[in-house]
Amino acid sequence: MKSRTLLIILFLFVLLLPLALFLQPKVKEPPASFSVADALGGIVEPGFARATLPRTFTFPIDHGPHPRFRTEWWYFTGNLHTTSGRRFGYQLTFFRSALTPAPVSRTSRWGTNDIFMAHFTITDVQGKRFHSFERISRAALGLAGAGGIPLAIHLEDWSAVGFSGKSLDTELKASSEGKAIRLRLKADGPVMLNGDRGLSRKGREPGNASYYYSIPRLATSGTIRVDGEEFDVAGLSWLDREWGTTSLEQSQAGWDWFGLQLDDGRALMFYRLRQKDGSTDPVSAGTLLQVDGTMRSLAAADLQLEIGAWWRSPKSGSRYPAHWRIRLPSEGLDLEVVPLLADQELNATTVRYWEGAVVVRDVKSGSSRGSGYVELTGYDGMKR
Amino acid sequence: MILWRAGWRHMLRHPWQNLLALIGIALGVGVVTAVDLANESAVRSFRFSATALAGKATHTIAGGASSLDEEIYRKLRVDLGVRSCAPVVEGTVYIPGKHSLRLIGIDPLAESSLRTFSSRFPGKGVLKKLIAMPYTALLLPETSHRLEIGKGGTFSVETQGKRHELVLAGFLEPDNDLTRTGLEWVVVTDIATAQEILALEGKISRIDLHLSEGTEGDAVLKLIQSNFPGIKITPAGARAGALDRMTKAFRLNLTALSLLVLVVGMFLIYNTTTFSVIRRRRFLGLLRAIGVTRTEIFMLVFAEVALLALLGTAAGLLFGVVLGQNLTYLVTRTINDLYFVMDIQDVRILPNSLLKGALLGIGGTLVAALPPLREATAAPPRAVLSRANLEASYRRRAPQTAVVGLIVLIVATGILAVQSWGLVGGFAGLFLLIIGYAFLVPTTVLVLAPLSRPLLSILPGPLGRMAARGVVVSLSRTGVATAALVVAVSAGIGVGIMVGSFRLTVERWLESWLKADVYVTTAGTGSGRQKPPLDAELVDRIRHLPGVAFISFTRRISVETPEGPVDLLAMEQSRDTFMGYRFTEGTGADAWAPFSTGTAIIISEPYAYRHKLHAGDRVTLPAPGGTFSLPIAGVFYDYGSDAGVIAISRSAYIRYWHDRSVDGIGYYAQPGVTSNMLDAEIRARSGTSSINIIPNRELKKMSLAVFDRTFAITNVLRFVIIIVAFVGILSALMAIQVERARELAVARAVGLTPGQVWGLVCGETFIIGLIAGLLSLPLGILQALVLIRVINRRSFGWTMEFSLDPALLLQAMVLAISAALLAAIYPSFAMSRTSPALALKEEE
Repeated sequence: MKSRTLLIILFLFVLLLPLALFLQPKVKEPPASFSVADALGGIVEPGFARATLPRTFTFPIDHGPHPRFRTEWWYFTGNLHTTSGRRFGYQLTFFRSALTPAPVSRTSRWGTNDIFMAHFTITDVQGKRFHSFERISRAALGLAGAGGIPLAIHLEDWSAVGFSGKSLDTELKASSEGKAIRLRLKADGPVMLNGDRGLSRKGREPGNASYYYSIPRLATSGTIRVDGEEFDVAGLSWLDREWGTTSLEQSQAGWDWFGLQLDDGRALMFYRLRQKDGSTDPVSAGTLLQVDGTMRSLAAADLQLEIGAWWRSPKSGSRYPAHWRIRLPSEGLDLEVVPLLADQELNATTVRYWEGAVVVRDVKSGSSRGSGYVELTGYDGMKR
Repeated sequence: MILWRAGWRHMLRHPWQNLLALIGIALGVGVVTAVDLANESAVRSFRFSATALAGKATHTIAGGASSLDEEIYRKLRVDLGVRSCAPVVEGTVYIPGKHSLRLIGIDPLAESSLRTFSSRFPGKGVLKKLIAMPYTALLLPETSHRLEIGKGGTFSVETQGKRHELVLAGFLEPDNDLTRTGLEWVVVTDIATAQEILALEGKISRIDLHLSEGTEGDAVLKLIQSNFPGIKITPAGARAGALDRMTKAFRLNLTALSLLVLVVGMFLIYNTTTFSVIRRRRFLGLLRAIGVTRTEIFMLVFAEVALLALLGTAAGLLFGVVLGQNLTYLVTRTINDLYFVMDIQDVRILPNSLLKGALLGIGGTLVAALPPLREATAAPPRAVLSRANLEASYRRRAPQTAVVGLIVLIVATGILAVQSWGLVGGFAGLFLLIIGYAFLVPTTVLVLAPLSRPLLSILPGPLGRMAARGVVVSLSRTGVATAALVVAVSAGIGVGIMVGSFRLTVERWLESWLKADVYVTTAGTGSGRQKPPLDAELVDRIRHLPGVAFISFTRRISVETPEGPVDLLAMEQSRDTFMGYRFTEGTGADAWAPFSTGTAIIISEPYAYRHKLHAGDRVTLPAPGGTFSLPIAGVFYDYGSDAGVIAISRSAYIRYWHDRSVDGIGYYAQPGVTSNMLDAEIRARSGTSSINIIPNRELKKMSLAVFDRTFAITNVLRFVIIIVAFVGILSALMAIQVERARELAVARAVGLTPGQVWGLVCGETFIIGLIAGLLSLPLGILQALVLIRVINRRSFGWTMEFSLDPALLLQAMVLAISAALLAAIYPSFAMSRTSPALALKEEE
């Protein structure tokens, strides 16, 4: 009897052994992590230069990179149209981000401590489409970099190359998945130094500031390619240049940035730094460029900003402001800012934000007063 | 029910016979399973690491020779705007005294579209450190644990004789277990760090591409090809496939050897079953006579065999899993020695291998049992009861069996002769040869057994004649048993001769190939034939030494061709050395002039065999200087690589590859200068550079050690075959003698002393052992010939000299006879202890 039991056990064993082994290994869910953003931002290491005092800007040298600061960007945005009136918006931005305060000397040409990131978007107003692309590369081996006079910036085959020795006249080239821009930008106005002679404070902590200038009016002409069709376009571009070693302070959630070119020749830059409680950080500031080329610095209190509508991104679920009223009583301005397209969210990029072409209207008459670009960051967590 | 109980009782009453049958099945199943496990583990491990490292790459731009210029990558990205591509710098590093690691240098920022493991770097600042800090690395948490390195800790790696301290910046986070398996023993660094460690500045190993299918992807391919005319783009699968193919012959050989074991096992099963049926003919006849139907008898015996099959297979699978772990280690080592560096961490018990083993075991047993089953049930009851009838019919049928055997042999020879049937034809022929030969055995026993009488005349009186006669009379049992023994013993001989011949051939080849007195190569603890080049400055320092008659340079690289990677050996040597090489086509004298001037190449025998090339044909190779084509001046013997080697003169190599580096230097001493003196001179000049200085004799010894390692697994299998053979002989002969208890009792009763019974039993088994041993010799030699001339040639393209070590034959004879005599001990012992009267009462 005993041996029969033994037999049955053996038999079962033979049958079950292969079964047990057929069990598949489980596929684990990938851990969520966002390390490129971490590499580009995060806590500031000591050793980087910081923007603490106003400085003298020397052009064209200061158009070029400032490697001792951690972050720097060249921000081209613009509103363009064809002769028949079809409207386009575009953005081509190059970010430089230093991983460490100083480069290490290495024998490999791949060695670097600088990383470049670029964002390229086209807003096709008539087609109601917004296209956005991102590239990231190390600034080594000729893959990406900025320098020279006139300035040449490139990240792989996207580039901003100066063609004039003195001013920042630049040719922009970018293309991805059949969408492309090829634009020539010529300065049509002065350089606007923002904040205190170009020192723009971003927080209470000293050094939590950047050097910041804009060229609000760049006459632009060239071509835009969308969906296999090429359009001759012309219009106005805006360049924002900023470098520093800052990060958002604990209490800050993000910012709303406005760069508006008014039809009367004036230009308005304003950034509202938002606190996590929703209030406006008192360091928020702006600059108004007058028709005669003079500049007026604006403090947070000089300007009233009202949000008129919200828009929820169907892709990310984030909620962004989608309509503003800006009042600058001292200058007699009462403006309405409306996105040309609700969905201008860069949502497949390393950092998700909204950056879009807007139209500026007079609140009373409703007539067009100009155009511009708005940037909204830090809304990612706001999924109420 | 009574019937089943009768069957069950029968099994329990013959535990020894059943146990031996079980062992036979278990050994056969175990070895097949183990070899299959080892093979599959190796293949799986290789494929995992290939897919884990290739990720989603659809194509690869490979450098081959001295890897790609990194400028190609810049042009691809910047000038051509090709986006989904990623550069890789790759090499092998060693953790001193511990382990080899595959070093993969990547550009993490270019990776996201390609690999799953490299786009995620959890933990703050890991990516930052990896890119910006030199000598930072990532490992799997498991690997770092095994190597006892904590995060932020440092570890040394060694390559090209230099040691580097790496910082463990973080951990690799593969998103699935398969990738995880593939990344064991991989260290990932930034591409800059990899270039600096491997001294590959300015170079990249390859560029992985991810191209969409259809016209869009094709357009990108065309764009790349038109811009870089010399570049080779291979589909991602092709590379893995080529490496897979490289080891295929080796793995197929192992499988065939394991099947050989199973065939031997099946003969034993056949023998056991036949015997168990024959022994019970009387019993089964009685059952038939009292009205039990044929089907019922069939079922009874079938159930018994099935039970044996199940138990034997279960035991075999367990044995196979255990043996598989060890074999995997041996297989990995061989692949490391012969093909490429790989590591297998754990041997998973693969359900497919077990299933295969189980099917072979149960199926094989049942198939082997069918003929005796049919025999037992088909015959009429009266005939079944008559033993003499059975033996007579066996003897009558013996010549018929022999004719069948002859026909099978002829068919086997025919199959073996057809070159185009390749390896499968080779193995089919080999197995038919064995089976055909086995069919001849019973007849041969009829002829040989009477001839052995004089041998047994040492036994007093009629005992010798009785023993010889006994063998013939009980042919039904002895014939089958002898055939099984012949098959088992001969397999051992065949494999033994094959390995021996191969070793001798390699020894002679090394003799002709390694002529210099002292060799210098790059230091490194790893295996593998391709070594990093020696430091150019060091070469200048040590190239002129006093006491050196002349010196030779070599450089061995892998060239990516459309058919996969090819080994290229660039040589600069004296005419005398070259003349010493042994050629299968062309002669050293004729080949020297075109070879040394760089207007022709020579190729190794396996290369010629694989690519169906002959002297006079041309070989086209891609090189950085453009694709070129040269005629073949000769085909030389080479046993270093089964993929084959193309040898080119160093001058031509420099012309086409623009690479002046060397990885080996050979020094030929002037008369009166010893290798020790040269060694000292080199040491004095090489300073701190860590290089290997190897005297000729040492290198030959090392090469043969590699050879022996390679064949370790073959020897293990040979050993298992011998064990199976031994167990087989033991079980078959013991069973015969146990069954003869009654006959021997009669002999005792008529006056034979226990001692004389011993003599009789031993005499009989001795004759069987002797005949089996003798008959196994020709079959063993035949098998060796097939293995050498057909199987190995078709697998590897190697010509081997046949060399017969008489010791192997002697060993086989000793094995057969000693097992036979051992088999006689228990039955004789049992007989001499039992009283004849009791034994006579014993009825089946």
